[in-house]
Formats: sequence, C-alpha cells, structure tokens
Amino acid sequence: MALTQNGNRLPPRPGEAIDRSHAVSFTYNGRGIRAFAGDTVASALYASGVTILSRSFKYHRPRGLLCAAGRCPNCLVTVDGVPNVRACTTPVREGMAVRSQNAWPSVDTDALNVIDKFDFAMPVGFYYKTFHQPKLMWHIAQPIIRRLGGLGAVDITADPESHYHHDNRHADVAVAGGGPAGLSAAIAAASAGAKVVLVDDQPSLGGHLRFDPSRHADVPGLKAGKGPELAAQLTEAVRASSRIQVIAGTVFGVYQDNLVAVLTRDSVIKLRAKRLIVATGSNEVPHVFENNDLPGVMLSTAAVRLAYLYGVKPGRKAVVACGDDYGYRAALALQGAGVKIAAVVDARGGFPASMSEAQALRDSGVRVLNGYVVIRAEGPKHLSAVSLCHLREGVPLTEELRLDCDLLATSGAFEPAAGLLHQSGGRFAFDEALGEMLPSDLPRGVLVTGEVTGIRDLRANILQGRVAGLDAASSFHVLSYEVRQDLARLRHDLAEALAAYRAHTTRSSPIADMPGKKRFVCFCEDVTVKDVAQAVDEGFADIQSLKRYSTVTMGPCQGKMCHRSFVHLCAAKTGQSVQKTGSTTLRPPLAPVPLGALAGHLHTPIKRTPVDKRSRDMGARMTDLGPWRRAHVFSNPEEEALAIRQRVGIIDVTSLGKLDVRGKDCGALLDKVYTNKMSDLQAGRIRYGLMCADSGTILDDGTVSRLALDHFFVTTTTGNVEAIEEWVRWWTAGTNMCAHVNNVTAAYAAINLAGPKARDTLRKLTDMDISADSFKYMRFGQGHVAGVPAILLRIGFVGETGWEIHFPAEYGEHVWDALLNAGEEFGIIPCGLEAQRILRLEKKHIIVNQDTDSVTTPLEADMEWAVKFDKEDFVGRGGIRAVKERGIRNKVVGFVMRDGLVPEDGDPVVMGGSPIGRVTSSRFSPALRKGVGIAYVPADYAEEGRELLISINGRTEPATVTLKPFYDPEGERLRA
Amino acid sequence: MAFLIPCPNCGERGVTEFRFGGEVNPRPAPSASSDEWTSYFYRRGNTSGLQTEWWYHRYGCRKWFLAKRDTTTNQVTETRWP
Repeated sequence: MALTQNGNRLPPRPGEAIDRSHAVSFTYNGRGIRAFAGDTVASALYASGVTILSRSFKYHRPRGLLCAAGRCPNCLVTVDGVPNVRACTTPVREGMAVRSQNAWPSVDTDALNVIDKFDFAMPVGFYYKTFHQPKLMWHIAQPIIRRLGGLGAVDITADPESHYHHDNRHADVAVAGGGPAGLSAAIAAASAGAKVVLVDDQPSLGGHLRFDPSRHADVPGLKAGKGPELAAQLTEAVRASSRIQVIAGTVFGVYQDNLVAVLTRDSVIKLRAKRLIVATGSNEVPHVFENNDLPGVMLSTAAVRLAYLYGVKPGRKAVVACGDDYGYRAALALQGAGVKIAAVVDARGGFPASMSEAQALRDSGVRVLNGYVVIRAEGPKHLSAVSLCHLREGVPLTEELRLDCDLLATSGAFEPAAGLLHQSGGRFAFDEALGEMLPSDLPRGVLVTGEVTGIRDLRANILQGRVAGLDAASSFHVLSYEVRQDLARLRHDLAEALAAYRAHTTRSSPIADMPGKKRFVCFCEDVTVKDVAQAVDEGFADIQSLKRYSTVTMGPCQGKMCHRSFVHLCAAKTGQSVQKTGSTTLRPPLAPVPLGALAGHLHTPIKRTPVDKRSRDMGARMTDLGPWRRAHVFSNPEEEALAIRQRVGIIDVTSLGKLDVRGKDCGALLDKVYTNKMSDLQAGRIRYGLMCADSGTILDDGTVSRLALDHFFVTTTTGNVEAIEEWVRWWTAGTNMCAHVNNVTAAYAAINLAGPKARDTLRKLTDMDISADSFKYMRFGQGHVAGVPAILLRIGFVGETGWEIHFPAEYGEHVWDALLNAGEEFGIIPCGLEAQRILRLEKKHIIVNQDTDSVTTPLEADMEWAVKFDKEDFVGRGGIRAVKERGIRNKVVGFVMRDGLVPEDGDPVVMGGSPIGRVTSSRFSPALRKGVGIAYVPADYAEEGRELLISINGRTEPATVTLKPFYDPEGERLRA
Repeated sequence: MAFLIPCPNCGERGVTEFRFGGEVNPRPAPSASSDEWTSYFYRRGNTSGLQTEWWYHRYGCRKWFLAKRDTTTNQVTETRWP
C-alpha cells in the first residue's frame, strides 16, 4: 500500500473543514484512530492509511473511497452498532466504535473474495437460473447466498426505542441544496420578503465552492476570490438574514403540494412549502473500465474534497482521466495540494488551448494525453498502475500505454441530481449538446436552479439562483419596483451567460465500447457491463424491465452512481437514442432512511384521570382501558364488589365519555342518533340511550340527561367518545340541525358512589335533598358536593343505590378524599375497574364492543325495549327493521354456572362437540357465589332455564340460561 | 398522501389533519324499499374523477364539510359547508 500512517496529512490551508487544534480519537475494528474535529470517519481513516473501507455486495471485492460525498455505497460501515452508515459524511465523535461489515475475517483480507472467481455461477438474474437443479438445491443455496451477500447486520438486541422525533415546519420557499445556486436563491427570496427554509446535507454550506481552489473574479454581487472565500460570503449573507432558516439534513422525498421530507441526525422534518426550489446540483459519476472499482480509483471531486476540506493527501502520484474541462481544473487543484500529476488523460482529441488552467498545467510540465481513455486499473488491492488506449474517432485502438500511479481521479462525467424533480412529477428531455437528461417540464410550485439544470458555470448558476429566488417570492409577494427592475436585469445577464456557456461547452459521450472484464456499472450490487449486455440479449431491452432484472439503480445509491452509465449502455446495446431509452423512475426515499426515523418516537399518549396519582398512592394496580389508564384493583376485586353490595364504595369513572349538547334542535338530534326517544325527556330526568349505525348495529350506549329544554348532558362508553363526537357532529351537519356538540370528557371528573350506605355518605357532603322520595332513580340533580359544583346522576350501572358525580376535573383529589373521609364510618373503600366489571355482570348489563361485536343489533343484544319504532326516523331504523323482519340468528343471554367454575372470556359454547356460540364476559359472582356470564348463542337458546354447554379447558361444563339480571332481578336495591 | 385541503373554517391544511367521511350518499326516506336501503348501505359510486365527499377537520375546528376532490389526482377543487 502506497499510503502510510502518518504521511497523509497536508499542511494547513485556509478554508479547510478540520480543526487541527482539536484532536478526536475513535476505534476502527478495535484499532485506535486519531483524527481532528471536523473530520469525517472516512477522511480520518484515509489519513491513517485505511484505503479499503468495505467489501462489495456480491463478489466481496475490496472497495475504497469513491465519492466522498455521501452518494455511493463504498464506505458503508457500522457505527456504534448502527449498520450501513456512510463513513464519508459521518463526522467523527470522541470514542465512537466503527466496524467494517460484510467481510470475513477482515475487510483487508476477505476470504469470501473467492466468490469473485466464481462469477460465472452468478450471471445477471442468477437467482432465476442457477442453483435450481435439482429443486432442493435452491433451498440449500439461498440461505448461504443471503449470508454471503449483503450489507451490515442489524443488532436485534439493541434498544428498540427510537431516538428520532418528528417535526413540522412551514415555509414560503424551501430550498433543497446549499451550493452557490441554492444559497443565492435563498438570499434573493428572503430579500423579497419570503420566509425561507434551506436544507443542505453537507457539513458546511457552499457546495463545491468549499473545495474549489480556483479564483473567480466575474461573479455578480460577490467580491472576487477563491471558492472557499465566495462560499464564506454567501454563507454570511444567509446567516445574516432573519428570514432564512438552515436545516442540516437530507431531503429524501417530495410529496404532493410540496410536502418536503427531511432527514436530520435525530429527526424527520415534514416541511410544507409554498414553493420548492430544487438546487441539488449534480453528481459526479464513475467512468466504466476494467477494475474501475479498485481502491485508489475515485471521482475527481472526491480527491479534491479530501485535499481541500480535510487536509488529506488523496495519493502520491495521480492520473486524472477526463472528458471535459473540469478534469484540468481538478488536476491543477490536486497539483496545488501537493499531489504529483503523472498525466491528464482527456478522451477528447484536441487540447483545450483556450482554457487557462489547461495551459498552466501543461506549462508546469504535466503530461497531457488527448484522445486517450483508461481501459484498466491494476491492483491487486490498491491501484498501482493504469493502462490507457488511444481512441480514433471514438473507437479504441489496441495499442496500450501503462502509467504507474496510486490515484486515478476520474472526471468529466456528471449527472444532474434530479431525484427530487422526478418525485415531484417533473419531465426530462435529452439535451444533445450537453449530453444529459435535463428537466424540461416542472410541476406546479417547483423551481429549479444551478447545476441540476446541466449548466456547470458558477456565474450562470448564481444568476439562476437569484432569478429562481425572486420568481418564487414573486408568486405570493408583490415585488417592489426596484426588485422588479433587478429581476429583469438578472434575466438578461442570465440569458447571456447561458448562451456563452452553451457556445463553448463540448462533452464526450461517457461510454466508448471498450474491451475488458469486470467493468462495473453498478457498484451497489456488483453489476458489470457484461451483465447488462447479457440481460438486454435475454430480451430485457426496455430500461424499466432491465432495471428490475439486473437490479442496477436499485442499491443503496439509488442510481446516483450508475444511472447515467446504465441509460447510455442500454441505449448503445439496443441501438436506440438516449431520449427514446428514457430513464428509470426515482421514487422516495432518495437516500436511505433508517426505519426508526420514519417511525419516530413510540408515542402513545396515556390519559390519566385526576385521581390517578391518589389511586396509585393508595396501592391501586393500574390497567389500560382504551386510551385511559384506570385503577384495576385496589385490594381484592371480590372484596371491593362486596363492599359496594353491603356497605359503600367509590369508583373513579372519569374515563366515561361526556358530551355537552346544546341548541334549539338538540332534542331532535338525539332522537335521530339514539334508537329511543329523547325529545320527550323531561328536564331533570335521565334516560338510557342506545346508538346504532344505519345498518342497525350497536355503536355505543350511555346515559342522556336533560339539563334544560335546549341542553343535554350525554355520556358514552370509555374510549369511544371521539368517534361518537364525530358521528353526532356528522349527523348534525348532514341534517342541518341547530345543535352544538362539545366533548367535555376531560373537563369533568366522575366518581361513582354506590352501596346501601351511599346516601348516608353523600348526605354529609351536600345540602341537596337526596332522600329516596325526592331524588329518585334515573333523575339527576345539580348542586355542590364537598363544596364543589357537581351534576349528580342517580343511575345504577353496578346495581345499588348510587350517584355518578360529575364535577370539574381540577377538584378530583379533593372530592375523592372528601368522599372517603365521609364514608369512613360506613366502611367505604375505593374500588377498581375489576370490581365494577363484576358488579355490572351481576346485573347483566352489557358492555358495547365486549358483549357485542360489529354485527350485533339491539335485537340480538336483547334490548328491543330501547328501540322506538314509532319514532318518525332514527339512525338504524331501516337496518333494525330489516333484521326484525328477517329474524335474528343469535342472541345475547346470561348464564349461571352450577358452582364456582368460571369460563374465560371467549370460551366456546358447544353442542355435540362443535362450537355454536361464545362467552363474551364471565366472572365469579361474590354475591351469588357462582360463576356468571354473558354469552352470544343461537337465538333459540334464549329461554329461561335452558341448559348450555361451555367448553372450559377442553372440558364441557353445564350452565343455565337466565334472561334477567342475576342479582336483584327486579332492581329494588337500585331504586332504594 | 400529502395533499392540502382548504377547510372552509381554518384554511389550507395538510390532509393528515382531516378524517375522510366517504362520498356523499343521500339517505333514503324511512319508508323507502329495502332495495334502496341496501343500496345506501353497500353501494358506492367509486368515481374516477371529481367526487363530492365528506371531510372532518379532526385536528382543527372539528367541523364536517363537503369537498370536491379529483380521485385520480387528489386535487381538492372546492370545499363548502353542507
């Protein structure tokens, strides 16, 4: 290996991204690596002499730094257990543990590289062809291939809690890309009054200017200087604007109406913008020749980045291969950084004499080979030499030239980074003069600027940026006269700059049909020119099916490295034009996004009642009920149930849904949505309400209290209130009734006070007349309890004398404590949800969605008494009537076991060994000392005293049907 | 899905703030035949193109309104109160 441990750092240079006064150390495969703050993992490793960063997907070939910009798959490593992290854009952190992946025993000497010799067994689409005879073979081969191929491994023992959060932002103008065009666009838009969000994925703003050592004198609006100085001027202007917000992240998706998805280090941002300016620049892409994946062969921008941003010497002796003027600039830059240039190899036949950089290079004694291309890189593990051949009219001749070097910088092949335009629905056309697919038709609200338009000229790009920024702002701000004048002038200058650029730009075709083995088109999935050619020969001549068959553009780079070569290769093989060949479709995500980032936080909000803490302090075990957390058991559910039957108890029922319904038509509205009649309810009275869908199935039940002629207080089942609120509001909107529905669930706490001593307890806390004669069952009263204004509903879900006390939630603990104090002499205890379930089951009260399902109508639930067919109309009438005419098949019945045996909820009701129904709830009844429950059975079983057989743990046990409540069937205790 | 819906009350908001309420489906009279009721329960127009439908601004003003949406492009061309 040519590079050594210590000799790879260049002397300090202004504008570099690293801070040499601040050392950082981390480990790579257990070995200590010293770096500087501002280094990326890849730059630090390269400086330490590590040039093989990964092994390829299929053949386990050594791979080194290629793009150094976060585009290609070559530097994927595992960082602190997170697989497939791009080393070249990940900043170093003190103590981080970096490991290479997909190699055995090590990435330097990977034994699996032997697969490279068996490539004949894995032709393109091999998974359809080889290892299929005999049939068993694929079952043996497939897991092995799966193991050998691939990327990093996910650590499934890692903490699943995502550390990503989600964030929403809004902007007038979103700018994707922080290069010269993007920055200029952001500055211009902000100057015209727009609120701008700029997203850039590089460690600092400025794009390629950051590592461009040439001096630019002719840039409008900026002081003359080298690239980093111009980048600093633009960055300063962005930072100085209060209207521009900069996000360090990657735009990975553009969705309808300019919803821009941004991935940052710790979040996904959903950015909604009125206008989107795409300034994503262009990607330099690899040349295609034999062994073009050898470490030491890298993109010219990567080599220049290493030298100028990170002060790392990319090689000692370099060959620069190019097809346009950019290669000469890159060569000059590398020479300036102290790299000896062995030769510049230009595929174009003539020397660009008008170009000052090319002249300067030649004058310094650098050998320039015009009309040559690289046909082979020689290794074995790192580049040691390149072979060239001469081209005559684009056709390679056999004579070869061999140059020793340890760095080959390939240049002159760029492709617009147009993924976001693809996603947003833009169209593209092939520009013959520039040799590229360029955006031709943009979707509404999307603008484009900079190198992504195929124009690689700083002056033109900056003018483009300004025009785009003002255009974007002008679509929703009125521009001042001065700004409009400015815009006209900018347009004029831009037109001139573009014309001049096109007049002197010539680019060579990216692929001459050269000989050689292992010429990689796709680095992600190890697909060669031969593979693509074979796939075309097999009939996959259309670019879309060719993509799917060969998997080119489908790897981690998502086409950023391979798409251009792929399209040109397909065009050459099929004999079609590039325009006709078209391009593959780029879909979100544009860059790999961790699934944890898409998932965000495990965000399940819990609703806690005002006595949540008090309950837990009193020893309650909590449980989840819909979105609510409820006290499940305080001491023992059967003791709690008996306390309510014999003495008195309180249950926190705050989670009940509560709706406040007001308005002239509120009676009519409730008549509409409930199956029973509500408009004739007298003020001060309560009625049970059953709500059905139009098909007749039960949606919800609860109580309806009439507070005044135009005011009702409605309760719904726990966890159902949002759905019922929407349902009732929908009927209000659809019928144009004058009624207003307000969800007051969380505003009121609710405590159910019940038991024979409930009245004695309550009497101590209120001045209301609560005697049995004046405060009757199914009435309510408004007054004060423990000094707190409250609505008291005298209802009986649990089947004893009792009140459901609704009061402002703020007083939850106060009223709770007051009730417990007042009831102390009567033996009051707090009761949990389980006790409530036992008590309601003893009364055979159904729970909607527990004892009913999505096809249960009131007829099946044995609640026809709650359906008033004589009403004019109500929701569900048609459905219930149809079921009534047809007759019901199943019915909800109560059952009592012979003894204390209790089936599980869901146990089957059987006849002759086959299930005919199921138990929907069952509990041991402390009052009856027997198991009781509710079951859904064939309608002809709904007869008092009929025997049912229930299968419990495989044994068939008898039970007796009962149609009345098991406890206090006449409801005397309830009314007492 | 990421399109914008202009709520008649709150203005343009992202679709994730809303609940879809289905295409507008007139309810038969109580006396209608069971065929009409069956059709009301189970049959939908499933239009390809402009369709009038119910939307509810769940994470906003909590109001139901009607929207004309192109089912092929998700472009909402008109919203109004019922």
